[in-house]
Amino acid sequence: MSARKVLQGNIIIAKAALAAGCDFFAGYPITPSSEIAQYMSKEMPRMDRTFIQMEDEIASLGACIGASLAGRKTMTATSGPGFSLMQEHIGMAVMAEVPVVIVNVQRGGPSTGMPTKPAQADMMQTRWGTHGDHPIIALYPAFADEMFSETVRAFNLAEKYWNPVVLLSDEVLGKAHMDVEIPDPGTYEVYWEKPHQVVDLNIYDRQIGENPPRVDFFKGYPIHIDGLEHDAHGWPSFDAKTVDKMQRLRMQKIYQNLDDIIRYKEYYLDDAEVLVFSFGISARSALAAVKAAREQGVKAGLFQALTVWPFPRAALQERFQRTKKVLTVEMNLGQMKYEVERVAPPGVEKRTLLRANGMPFSPDEVLAAIKELAK
Amino acid sequence: MKKFEIRYGAVGGQGIITAGALLVDIAVEMEGKFASESPTYTAAVRGGPTKVDVIVADERIDFPHATAIDFFLCTDQRPYDIYKDRIKDDAIVVVDSHLVRELGDTRRWKVYAVPIINETKVGAGNVVLTSVVSLAVTQKLTNIVTYEHMVEHIKHWAPKGAVEMNMKAIEVGMNLIQ
Repeated sequence: MSARKVLQGNIIIAKAALAAGCDFFAGYPITPSSEIAQYMSKEMPRMDRTFIQMEDEIASLGACIGASLAGRKTMTATSGPGFSLMQEHIGMAVMAEVPVVIVNVQRGGPSTGMPTKPAQADMMQTRWGTHGDHPIIALYPAFADEMFSETVRAFNLAEKYWNPVVLLSDEVLGKAHMDVEIPDPGTYEVYWEKPHQVVDLNIYDRQIGENPPRVDFFKGYPIHIDGLEHDAHGWPSFDAKTVDKMQRLRMQKIYQNLDDIIRYKEYYLDDAEVLVFSFGISARSALAAVKAAREQGVKAGLFQALTVWPFPRAALQERFQRTKKVLTVEMNLGQMKYEVERVAPPGVEKRTLLRANGMPFSPDEVLAAIKELAK
Repeated sequence: MKKFEIRYGAVGGQGIITAGALLVDIAVEMEGKFASESPTYTAAVRGGPTKVDVIVADERIDFPHATAIDFFLCTDQRPYDIYKDRIKDDAIVVVDSHLVRELGDTRRWKVYAVPIINETKVGAGNVVLTSVVSLAVTQKLTNIVTYEHMVEHIKHWAPKGAVEMNMKAIEVGMNLIQ
């Protein structure tokens, strides 16, 4: 008997969330993410944890924010239309600095689009969907083991940096049943800072670059938590100096910790002449294509982003010192390719393989594009 | 990487997605292989053409959809017409002889036309057993999992009181292919 089991991608995420200590889930089921809510609704009551089906996605994320402030580890799961509705509360969670994990199993858009077909077209919405300057962390696993590890990591990063973390997936990964070995508890890090008593009321008071503390809210202290720009106490403030500091505090807690946040995988890149940049389901097609290219004598390699936001700029830049051809493969009409272009120095030949028709790239399509670029 | 790709095509409700799920469970949990299963799941799942792609391999599977099919089993004309792409030369193709009448050009394949649905009804006693009959047909023609593991898994999987009829379904499947 093998320790490996066959599990649906959505279920791997749900199991990982529970393993990471998620004890509050509020959601509104939507294809192709529904199994996450379904599994949580079954398992959480048994574990004495809280599951609520809310009236819509706005309320779902709202409930998660409230529960998070009350010391819970929270998650919600959705797809495109629900993710659009959540944008306002994502901004609220960023502004008030509230940890929460939001799963977006991407399907064809815009609007209700194609509920049962995959897409990777929410990449820029994930970065900039809510208004205003703001930091965001987004992770996008591709393989079954990564769906477990990146979900756990999403919770760790949310808790550590007091920020919403978007865990991206897509219809193919969500719905496929894959073999996976669920690691034993204790073999992976679960970050948790027990909420501590408020010492003074200036909860947002810290130096730029310092991580925020996990404070015990709702324990009788008049603490103000607001979507308005605020001072160290949480009270609304539009004082230019205060605002400037708060904006930078929120950005820098993420951007000064890129080493901790950014993860990626590199396959066959050391001597590669063509670098394929991809993520999620497209990275799996690309990996198969890269292997096939190697068999045919074409030196290709894959850079698979696991952290998509912040963009793994430095690691990619490093690769462009040697590799002078890049192929970006994504299931949209061109989103992350702009990030690759910003990173690639002049002299790097940039091509794309893009599509938004609900069909994942097959490995032979990626192979053909690699060979074309390698010529 | 050694890789074997299977596609089951049917109309929703025939139980073909279950056949795929059973096969990957046996391959992974009993034989330690790597496997994935990607079913269709549109509104068409009940009554419309449906398929499931199963890949069994000896290392981690990169792309989870079938791209070069070694074995195709189909129990209805509509899914046969839609899903008979990417089938390799020399592949084994099994069709229900009553429900798939128009096969087109099959010269590249080894074709078995057998009355799967009818034999399931008559021989096993209930059409819901099509999944297990199809699994047995797959086992016999491909040996992708062992006969013993298949029987053991079905015994565990079948609800109490239904073990016997499932064993009968395996027998029907094995006897369909001579």
